[in-house]
Amino acid sequence: MTPATPHQHASADDPRILLDDQIGAFETVPPYPPRTEREAEFYSLGDGEMFLNMGPHHPSTHGVLRVVLKINGEQVVDLDPVLGYLHRGVEKLCENSDYHHIISQVDPLEYVSSLFCEWAPVMAFEQLLDVEVPRRAEYIRVLTGELLRISSHALFQGFMALDLGGLTPILYGFIERDEIVEMLASITGQRMLFNYFRIGGVNGDLNHEFMSRLGDWMSRALVQVEANATLLNENELFVRRMRGIGIVDRDMALRMGVTGPNIRAAGVPFDLRRSHPYSVYPELEFNIPTRGHERGGDSLDRYLLRLDEIRESIRIIDQCLHNMPDGPVMARLPRLMRPRPGRAWAAVEAPRGLFGTYAVSDGTDQPFRLKIHDPSFVNLQLVPLLVKGNLVADTMAVMSSLDPIMGGVDK
Amino acid sequence: MTTLNRAWGHLTLTGKVLLPLLFLLLVVAPVLTVLVAVFVGPWVVDVLASNIGIVRFVVAVTGVLLFSIPAAFIIIYMELKVIARMNLRVGPNRVGPAGAAMSVVHGLKVLSKEDFTPTGADRLVFTWAPVIVFLTAVMTFLVVPFGPGLVGQDLNIGLLYLFAVGGMTVVGLLMAGWASFNKYSLLGGLRSAAQVVSYEIPLTLSVVGLILLAGTMSMNRIALDQQGGFWDWFVFRQPLGALIFFIAATAEANRTPFDLTEADSEIVAGFATEYSGMRFGFLFFAEYVNVFIVSALMVTLFFGAWNAPFPFPHVDLALDPGSLGIGLLILIAAAPLVLTLLFAAPFYLARSSTPAWQALVLGFITFNVVAVGLLFGVAYVGLDWIAGLVWFMVKSFIFVFVFVWMRATLPRIRIDQLMGFAWKWLLPAALLNLFVTAAAILVVDALKAG
Repeated sequence: MTPATPHQHASADDPRILLDDQIGAFETVPPYPPRTEREAEFYSLGDGEMFLNMGPHHPSTHGVLRVVLKINGEQVVDLDPVLGYLHRGVEKLCENSDYHHIISQVDPLEYVSSLFCEWAPVMAFEQLLDVEVPRRAEYIRVLTGELLRISSHALFQGFMALDLGGLTPILYGFIERDEIVEMLASITGQRMLFNYFRIGGVNGDLNHEFMSRLGDWMSRALVQVEANATLLNENELFVRRMRGIGIVDRDMALRMGVTGPNIRAAGVPFDLRRSHPYSVYPELEFNIPTRGHERGGDSLDRYLLRLDEIRESIRIIDQCLHNMPDGPVMARLPRLMRPRPGRAWAAVEAPRGLFGTYAVSDGTDQPFRLKIHDPSFVNLQLVPLLVKGNLVADTMAVMSSLDPIMGGVDK
Repeated sequence: MTTLNRAWGHLTLTGKVLLPLLFLLLVVAPVLTVLVAVFVGPWVVDVLASNIGIVRFVVAVTGVLLFSIPAAFIIIYMELKVIARMNLRVGPNRVGPAGAAMSVVHGLKVLSKEDFTPTGADRLVFTWAPVIVFLTAVMTFLVVPFGPGLVGQDLNIGLLYLFAVGGMTVVGLLMAGWASFNKYSLLGGLRSAAQVVSYEIPLTLSVVGLILLAGTMSMNRIALDQQGGFWDWFVFRQPLGALIFFIAATAEANRTPFDLTEADSEIVAGFATEYSGMRFGFLFFAEYVNVFIVSALMVTLFFGAWNAPFPFPHVDLALDPGSLGIGLLILIAAAPLVLTLLFAAPFYLARSSTPAWQALVLGFITFNVVAVGLLFGVAYVGLDWIAGLVWFMVKSFIFVFVFVWMRATLPRIRIDQLMGFAWKWLLPAALLNLFVTAAAILVVDALKAG
């Protein structure tokens, strides 16, 4: 094909201006020869099949996930998630920042629930430094963390509905999130990337505005959550789109290393808050809800389980407010931190599962290595297993029921 | 001169051809008009009078084309505002009072955008697809009776025409989907083909019972059949038919929960993905025209057409303006002035801080509202086509509201559920409705005879 010359009336969007090979603009197949057997198998089309390039700019891939679907009519034959569009090199950035600075570097990983991204590294550094965190600070961490878990799950509920074509629940979800985020903004000064936890405590005590907002919200939280849920839970169309789709059974969940609500929806009561207790969770009373006993862990189970978790989180917040002791919120620490050489692993139960940090210290004020384990990345591995054989529309229902956040996946 | 030369240089080839022609037309047109009016005019009038059917048709087509624009604008605004309220948002509130000019601004925006054809698209088909979609949507208006006598063409096969023309929309959608050279568009086009073809069958079958009852396919006659009162509406004789028709018509109009053709969370914008500018505008427009058509059909077929739920308070206005003589002149000249002052007085007296000019403006506005209200009331009582139009519009927009409400509430269904629902539930239900209706008619006729 001869390269088309840019002529006078060509639009700026006309790919002919930029490319000498016209077809290159539309092809899903990568320009290099297949690197693996899997790639060679995937990028060869059978009879009646075609590729559908979903993302990285697509209304419902939750950020910049790109999924190459191989479809036969409406049926998905195979798919290949392509990651890395949001890669920032956070782990490398962390290796070149001092221990205080890292808190703000890891903040945007799971940007919907960023406190949990701070919590895990902070806990690891406290182990390295042998710091005793004041009990009030621990209670504040649990309190704010559970608030953010509710906000994350409320938003999940909305996005789930949006991906199935419902317009309204997302705005109801954002109302809850806005309340919580404003609340946290009054103690952290930020609405999204809080940068609130510190090594040895938290940055600032609870204040009057936070407490009055929290009291106001707690008085109606449970009613509000139930009310928002009725719009979806009692909608036959919605339930039929979710029921029996994307079944993750117990074995598959354990084999794939899934954590968080996704494994609990498969019937495995694995929750770090109980199985590897940290902070003040041993002192608090709450249940680990599980689902999947009747339908074996489908999209509806994962959706309903997150609603159960919202209720449990409200219980935890209630207890935190009753048991919270007085005292300092920050341990006394030197400005410049040089932990002993060694290694530490810390993990927290984030809204999407196990968020872990493995820190290696070489005795300087910067970590030698900081490995971040993000739950969304692991949960996203399920997508190819679940979507194969379903319809194109189910790709959305399954993907959003796993609730991935691409900030953490691509790091 | 250089400016002119430069401007000429900027023109495209088409412009260089069209511009002289335009000048020629400007010069020649007035002369031609005068000549035609003097010499050909009487002959033209004769021809028109002898072909009154064709004239009526052309006027009707122009009328429905002109009507569809404000109708779509109102529905677009309504959708923006109603969905916003249901989402606990405010919605448009900047352009015009309460954002009422939003859809006009939308139209201007769409007009001013680049009209872009993607590389690899089939240009001819790509260009004509929106035209077909839009025209088929608008042409269905032709047989809808908006009021007594207010029907474009009273075809005796009106319903058949409606389904025929309405079914052609899918050709346009398929063209748009195929010609865009985009896989999302292709999926959208194919989905729409599957959907419209499946739902056409229960849609048509659901009204066969009604046709048996009414004994006609003319929309106007069906409307006249429901004259009388609330209980004469066909929905009470054909409740199942009305339900099936409503569901199938929602699918025909590609509205939530059947909007798979433009499912934004799956296939971006479906067949409209590659469209921009006014071509997208036509597709967008056609969608809202379809919403109105479906509502209008629901009203015409099942909810009493333009008939009021109670008999019209009809009064024969035997008013002869000529009999008033000088009184008429005084009325026209003096009434606005006097009434404006009269209405301004309370505003001026009620609050001492209101300046006189504000009170006058308020009085003038109040007078206009009252005058228009009075005129409207008189027209409603005196002219039954006005009353019919009012009732038709009120009922239609209630259904438009229901469609918007559904859009705010319901998620989308999946393609296999969509097809399963049409073939497993709607079609048997429509057949059942037809058989029960036919049997009932036989029984009633036999009882009457015996």
